[in-house]
Amino acid sequence: MADRLWFLIPEFILLAGAMVCALGGITKFAAVRRRIGFIASVFLVIACIAVPIVYGQQDRTHEETMLPELGYYVKIMVTFVGLLLVATAGGLIDRGYERAIGAGKDRFDALRASSGEFHALLLLSLTGVMLICEARDLIWLFLALELVSLPTYVMVAISRWSRTAQEAAMKYFFLGALSAALMLYGFALLYASTGTLVLQEITAAFTEQQENGGLVVLAQVGMLLAIFGLLYKIAAAPMHLYAPDVYQGAASAVTAFLAFVPKTAGMIAIIILLSTIGWEDGLPPAIEMALWVVAVLTMILGNIGALLQRSAKRMLGYSSIAHSGYMLIGVIAGPELGLQAVFVYLFIYGITNTAAFATLASLSRNGKRVDSLEDLAGLYRASPLAAASMAVSCGSLLGIPPLFGFWGKLLLFAAGIAAGQISLIIVAAVSSAISAWYYLRLIGLALLSSPQNHGEATKVTLRWPLAVAVVGACIAIAGPMVLESMMTDAKEAITVPETELVMPSLSLEVDGETT
Amino acid sequence: MISIMQSIVATPVVPIDQLLDQVAPSWAQFILWMPLISLALCGLCGAFKVKSKAPAVITIVSLATSFVLTLMLYIGYEGAQIIPIFDWIQIHWSGGSFIANFALYIDSLTLLWMLFVTGLGTLIAIYASEYMEHDVGKGYTRFFAGVSVFLFAMSCLVMGDNLLMLYLGWEGVGFASYWLIGYFYQRPAAVAAAKKAFIVNRIGDLGLALAIYLIWATFGTIQYDGIATALAAHHGDAETFTTFGGWTVHAIPYLLMLAAFGKSAQLPLYVWLPDAMEGPTPVSALIHAATMVTAGVYLIARTYPLFQLDEYALPTVAWVGGITALFAATIGMAQYDIKRIMAYSTVSQLGYMFLGLGVLSSYGAAYHVFTHAFFKAVLFLTCGAIMHGFAGQLDLRKLSGLRKMRGWKIVSYTMLIGCLCLAGFPFTSGYFSKDAILAEAFVTQGPGFKMLGWLAIFTAGLTAYYTFRVWFRVCCGPVHYEPGDELHGDDPATFHPHAPRIAINFVLIAIASGAIIAALPYFMENKTDGLTGGWVAEMVNDSPAKAGVPGAVATHDAHGDHGAHGSILGMDPHKAMYYISAVVGMIGLGLAFFFHLARRKAADSLRSKLLASNATRWLPTAMENKWYVDEFYIATIRTPLWILGKLFALIDRGIIDGLLVNGIAGIPRAIAKWFSPLHNGAVQSYAVSMIGGAALIVLLMMFMPEIMSFLQSTLIGATP
Repeated sequence: MADRLWFLIPEFILLAGAMVCALGGITKFAAVRRRIGFIASVFLVIACIAVPIVYGQQDRTHEETMLPELGYYVKIMVTFVGLLLVATAGGLIDRGYERAIGAGKDRFDALRASSGEFHALLLLSLTGVMLICEARDLIWLFLALELVSLPTYVMVAISRWSRTAQEAAMKYFFLGALSAALMLYGFALLYASTGTLVLQEITAAFTEQQENGGLVVLAQVGMLLAIFGLLYKIAAAPMHLYAPDVYQGAASAVTAFLAFVPKTAGMIAIIILLSTIGWEDGLPPAIEMALWVVAVLTMILGNIGALLQRSAKRMLGYSSIAHSGYMLIGVIAGPELGLQAVFVYLFIYGITNTAAFATLASLSRNGKRVDSLEDLAGLYRASPLAAASMAVSCGSLLGIPPLFGFWGKLLLFAAGIAAGQISLIIVAAVSSAISAWYYLRLIGLALLSSPQNHGEATKVTLRWPLAVAVVGACIAIAGPMVLESMMTDAKEAITVPETELVMPSLSLEVDGETT
Repeated sequence: MISIMQSIVATPVVPIDQLLDQVAPSWAQFILWMPLISLALCGLCGAFKVKSKAPAVITIVSLATSFVLTLMLYIGYEGAQIIPIFDWIQIHWSGGSFIANFALYIDSLTLLWMLFVTGLGTLIAIYASEYMEHDVGKGYTRFFAGVSVFLFAMSCLVMGDNLLMLYLGWEGVGFASYWLIGYFYQRPAAVAAAKKAFIVNRIGDLGLALAIYLIWATFGTIQYDGIATALAAHHGDAETFTTFGGWTVHAIPYLLMLAAFGKSAQLPLYVWLPDAMEGPTPVSALIHAATMVTAGVYLIARTYPLFQLDEYALPTVAWVGGITALFAATIGMAQYDIKRIMAYSTVSQLGYMFLGLGVLSSYGAAYHVFTHAFFKAVLFLTCGAIMHGFAGQLDLRKLSGLRKMRGWKIVSYTMLIGCLCLAGFPFTSGYFSKDAILAEAFVTQGPGFKMLGWLAIFTAGLTAYYTFRVWFRVCCGPVHYEPGDELHGDDPATFHPHAPRIAINFVLIAIASGAIIAALPYFMENKTDGLTGGWVAEMVNDSPAKAGVPGAVATHDAHGDHGAHGSILGMDPHKAMYYISAVVGMIGLGLAFFFHLARRKAADSLRSKLLASNATRWLPTAMENKWYVDEFYIATIRTPLWILGKLFALIDRGIIDGLLVNGIAGIPRAIAKWFSPLHNGAVQSYAVSMIGGAALIVLLMMFMPEIMSFLQSTLIGATP
């Protein structure tokens, strides 16, 4: 038990950070309140540094989780991208309120301040992602997933002045609850078919079933339903419908969060669930076919949906749907190449997608946050830096060769081809080509076209998001240099130590202790 | 003809390992790097918006360093050597390799070229520091950055040890030329001229690229020493090369020729050079008179053995050169813009150089390159000084008697020195270098070489005429001037020309002295036995162009008895040429004196008389309109291409963009429209779609075997 707690140290750090942020947000000291983002960043940095130390101290050979080394990679990724996300929200929450207080026009009221809770929720959600890696049984998995999701509902709603944000939050919450129900139903069926909730025992049960002529139908249906519930988290078809509305309604910083954190959580959970079946003998045809259909639908619907949009945020929202589709290729392809590609791609996608949304978050026009495509026209005049980082991050998301995104896509496609999924790769390539239409349009609008005549010019009002955008763009350019070591790390993350495989009876006492 | 084939000789082959054994003076690479350092510093000046003459100082200092290093290299020179800098491209495979190292190939030909490139480069940079001063803080940095780029590229071209480095430099000087011709980018004419220069040069560059490929395919290497070794192994016999059936060795010289004619402004690709005068005058002097345009001559000299592999290659070079010389001289006679006259004169003189290469006088060609670099530079720089002082006035009808004006004496007399050299006045440098070429036309046996020789002598007379037409008009006669149109706010009525100051005068005197001293190498003693022709012959003798040095080659001695040697008027051509060209030059000079100083009206009346008669009207009209070559090109090449381009654009817009691109792009959009009702924003319908979709997929997957068998049975049931 002590072993397991040891590996949760990064999570505890973030949890402590969430407490500090929540309390700091309602103190009377304006200096503390205004630096909540900074405090959150400090805890993220500490957590990030703690990960290698924690994982370096002890061997994980006697762990019970499905992918024992996964946490190392995922926790660093989550804290790193989390830092970018905190900075993207920099200056957004409570800006006007704090200014009014500073000017003496308003008094501080703990009920009206939301900066503290926003950051606390953000850290809690990130903690959830980390906890998924440590999941040992379905209950833990479910709780961790809910820890990821529940704060995000509030974060969408935190823009209290915005009715679209309220509407988006409601939709997100209701549909999220629905998907959670679906997932739980799937878990219940899994329990029904195997008689256990512990992942390793489920694995053993599945192995036995496969020896006796394949998985029982109940297990297949349960697995499918659980995966469909998780598809909501990664915004894949047919559970993607909420995404454009919610992404558009939420503030850009929150959208950046939604497009990465729940997606990472869902992707890891799907991989953990599927690894109970294992890719060695091929996934059961029903599950593989279902994933195939989902991946194809997601890529096509995401990319062609983006074509019609007039809102930049909605467009990027659809594009993030399409990216889930690409990543599902890796999930279908399976361990070694496929999963390695998924984890590398998650990191790359997280950074560049955050950079793209951060650019949007930094801009405003006519006193409002930028949303429509016209607002971006001629951005290079207002801010060459913003236009350049927009162009680079979009180029990376599209996969223009020297940029980071290209290598991620290359790995995924290569994994798909290695796994013999040629038809899937053809669909991916075609839909990727379609995506060029709207990404290049964004790049062209930012760099080439002239600004709109009517109304005020778009300008940069928030500095922190712009800094994130620039950092993201720089990583998109310079990233390929560390690609190789990233691939090595991702490979280690999905490696299962040999001794793990034989765990026929991990005895009931462990089960009893955790449940 | 036979003599050309006979003169295919063993080229100076120095084995590679022997070359590498020599101690390589690695500091020599800084000849190459100094301009690049200068470029970087100029870039910094640009970034920090320096508003002083710092860029000029930087450039001058680094170019002077290059020159000093070249001089040191020359002093320590003992034989051809390779100085490796770094490994650039090295690809090996079984049975072949492609190697292009970043290394310098230093032989005497390289040194000859580098000496005047860096030397004149430095002097012209000094001149430009004053000439461009009205642009300080505006384009000043850009100008000197361009000069640095040019010098780097030119050094690369001349000093590289393989054809790829030469190509790099070749493109680099083309780019620098484009950069600097278009320096006054607000002026449409300058932009058009820059584009024209670039595009016309591309045609030549295509030839060079193809030639390099064929050379690699034929000889298996693009390094100079490797090519020499390959040639030596075949004893220079063209028939023994069987790559692609053996035609490549015959194609290579013509492709190289195309490249050389493009860069060195020969027929039919000369049209860009006169227009290039839109650039600032120092650029015209440095790039478009002294250095870059001689790159073509250098290329042919460097690959001379390859030209000897094809029977007709060198005669072609000779004929193109000779005809270009005459053709450009006739145009130059009828122009009024003095800078343009100098431009046509450059084309004409480059023609002489190619004539020299063609008639197996690579020594004469190199010597003419050397002397021409000095006297043409001084002529351009004086033109520039006049243009600078008279607010852009270049029309020789509107300037007169400069000699008698205050502060213009140095300009006038340095111009006179330049004119004397260009006209081939006895005992000037131009006289000796031109004679070396002309005499060889009568010595070497070749198709119509004698006729070419007489043509070139006639051209020499024309040269003397148009050269002194400029000098007598501008510098002599009564004082009279009209300012040009670049007044910078001055009132034309009270306009006073501002005479050049110290930097310009210093450079004019320095280069004019150089032009005079350039006659000396002719009399310098030869260290090598049997060699005639002085220092320049020595400098060429140690290079692949050895075959064209008098006395250097055994075959040359074979026809050493003057019976087979060819003769003019019963005399030895070398001796006869002293008299003939002196007389012809004096006739031209005399005509110029009569028409443009003694009786200036006579020139106008002659012109009007020619125009009045139907039989002769074509001559002055055609000459003044440059023989309508530009118009001919526009009609035969540009217009058809333009029409073709419009046609393609139409196809592109209508069919490719309209039907294919937008049509295909329209399909996803249509599909997207079809799906968009799903996204109606209502949370209930989302929930239904989600659950419905999930249920549908799950059911489909679970009942897949049943569905498949059902489909199979119905299909099988339907087929029979």
